Amino acid sequence: MQFFRSKTFHWTTVLAGLFAIFVTVLFGFIYFRIDDYLIARSDRMITTQIGFFAGLPRERLVGALDDHLGQDSRGVQFSGVFDAKGNRLAGNVAALPDGLDIGAPARDMPLVRLDDKEAGATSVRAVARRLDNGDILVVGRNVDETAEVFRVVGAALALGLLPAFCLWLLAGAWLSARANRRVEEVNLRVQRIIAGDLRERLPHKNADEPFSRLAAIVNGMLDELETTINALAGVGNDIAHDLRTPLTRARLTLERGRTNATTLEQLQAVVDKAITGIDQSLSIVTALLRLAEIENSRRSSAFGDVALGDMLREVCDMYEPIAEDKQIALSVNIADKFSVCGDRDLLLEAVANLVDNAIKFTPRSGRVELALLRGEGETILRVTDTGPGISEHEHDAVLRRFYRSDKIRNTPGVGLGLNLVSAIVKLHGFRLIIHAGPGGRVEIVCPDGQGGQT
Amino acid sequence: MTKVLLIEDDGETAGEITAELADRGFEVEWSPDGLDGLARARELRPDAMIVDRLLPGMDGLTVIESLRKDQVRTPVLVLSALGAVDDRVRGLRMGGDDYLTKPFAIVELVARIEALLRRPPETRETVLRVGQLELDLIERTVKRGERKIDLLPREFRLLEYMMRRSDQLLTRAMLLEEVWNYKFVPATNLVDVHMGRVRHKVDGPGDAPMIQNVRGAGFILRAVP
Repeated sequence: MQFFRSKTFHWTTVLAGLFAIFVTVLFGFIYFRIDDYLIARSDRMITTQIGFFAGLPRERLVGALDDHLGQDSRGVQFSGVFDAKGNRLAGNVAALPDGLDIGAPARDMPLVRLDDKEAGATSVRAVARRLDNGDILVVGRNVDETAEVFRVVGAALALGLLPAFCLWLLAGAWLSARANRRVEEVNLRVQRIIAGDLRERLPHKNADEPFSRLAAIVNGMLDELETTINALAGVGNDIAHDLRTPLTRARLTLERGRTNATTLEQLQAVVDKAITGIDQSLSIVTALLRLAEIENSRRSSAFGDVALGDMLREVCDMYEPIAEDKQIALSVNIADKFSVCGDRDLLLEAVANLVDNAIKFTPRSGRVELALLRGEGETILRVTDTGPGISEHEHDAVLRRFYRSDKIRNTPGVGLGLNLVSAIVKLHGFRLIIHAGPGGRVEIVCPDGQGGQT
Repeated sequence: MTKVLLIEDDGETAGEITAELADRGFEVEWSPDGLDGLARARELRPDAMIVDRLLPGMDGLTVIESLRKDQVRTPVLVLSALGAVDDRVRGLRMGGDDYLTKPFAIVELVARIEALLRRPPETRETVLRVGQLELDLIERTVKRGERKIDLLPREFRLLEYMMRRSDQLLTRAMLLEEVWNYKFVPATNLVDVHMGRVRHKVDGPGDAPMIQNVRGAGFILRAVP
């Protein structure tokens, strides 16, 4: 099946294997610690016992040894007394082992039980001591019980580990199959999107899990793309229409001039008029290219600290003569020194566009004010005027390319200014807010986090 | 005669530029290819060059870069359909002296070539004089004859720029780029309004006009008797 070949399944198998190895190593570690502990305990015990027995006179020693062995129901105790020649006097140890190191600390020794000579020598922890009368006392203890514990626990572990391993593999197979199913479904839907069905969306649950979050983000991106593509289709028509008007005008002028002009002056006048029409078409193309350039964010390399106050003063200085010609009071009001991280040229262009609009649409003897102020965690660039303002239902429309309100049809312009401002503001991560009238009030809000107010 | 080398692959555009420059007394050599253009530049040693960016054989910017490596300091005007600021900056960094984006007005091209050819020498002069007009860069004062003229800082800069390039056509785009340092063309007639104010102050009542408007092209500051 496919999931056996899937990465998820392979990883699950590897993890299950690693888990089994880990459990085995852990078990081994525990076994050796227990073994060490039991041996140390036995050593302590037999050392204490031999000390006790050694202190007894020979006649009491034999009885004490017999008592001691009589109480050993598990048959793990070894003890015996031998005379100087090695003949057994008492105890259950058949003979002294070869190479007996008398007086040494407890160690492994091969001892033979008197009642079980057929079984041969058993390796036990034992200690030997020579008594005052020359006899040799041997006391030992069989610590094979740890091996027994190991056998029992090992068997239980093997029985438990196998189902766990199988369960793990099953879980891996299930997860892999589930992931495969989801990926397959996503693949199918993405293929539909590639085929041109932009309304298709990826499946996702309302759960806080990575796959659903990713699907939600991709769906959001598709929503945005769908809107953009739909808008683009409209923009294409708008561009064609807006270019057609000045080009038609130029063509008509040239056509009529060619037929009617009789003098060089007349012909030059006609050509001048036609050039104006072509220039207008070119300015539309230039503005569109500039919009594309800004929207492609190609200029983020030019980002740096921009002193907003200086920039506003510069725009004011630039537009003052124009405002004066129109008897408009242009003023600038700067609360404090603020700066943001951005592209100075672009921000200047955005503000210049706003001021340009404000002066253009404010009637004579009106007022235009540029202000720089602080909001909560944000710096605000505000352009207010005493013109007609932008009505609430036009707030979104004015940001569309080529939108020209009916009220301003006769004012020069191509309807791309606010679009350009919006693109610049978006590039910087700022917000453009158009307030409802009376009067015009447009704000560029620069949050401290975005671009960073300093 | 001033020699200009034009490296432009579009024959029709090249023809128009050559004809216009020839009418204005320039001797124009045309090359339609980057490699050939570079060879001709080395051989002819022209006084100025107009180089298109996208050329067959060798890219226009590579041509300029190669010339600059050979220590050729001929002023170069880069022509291009790529008008984004980054493209312009790249063009200038690679050794171009000025940049003009397509489509352009032929007067703009000629004005820029003339400006490149007559680039003011790096003088330490502190008083500029054009006819009766005198501008003191230290005192920040302007006089026409005995009449003192009060100018705002921007107007002062504008007049200084014009006086350094007297008798030369200065287009609106050139003024915006050089005096205002703007990389965009504002929607309103900013330059005209500022120029109108400077003209009003420089050419007082009864004075012969020094600042002339060249229709559809730009402005010229000329000395008058």
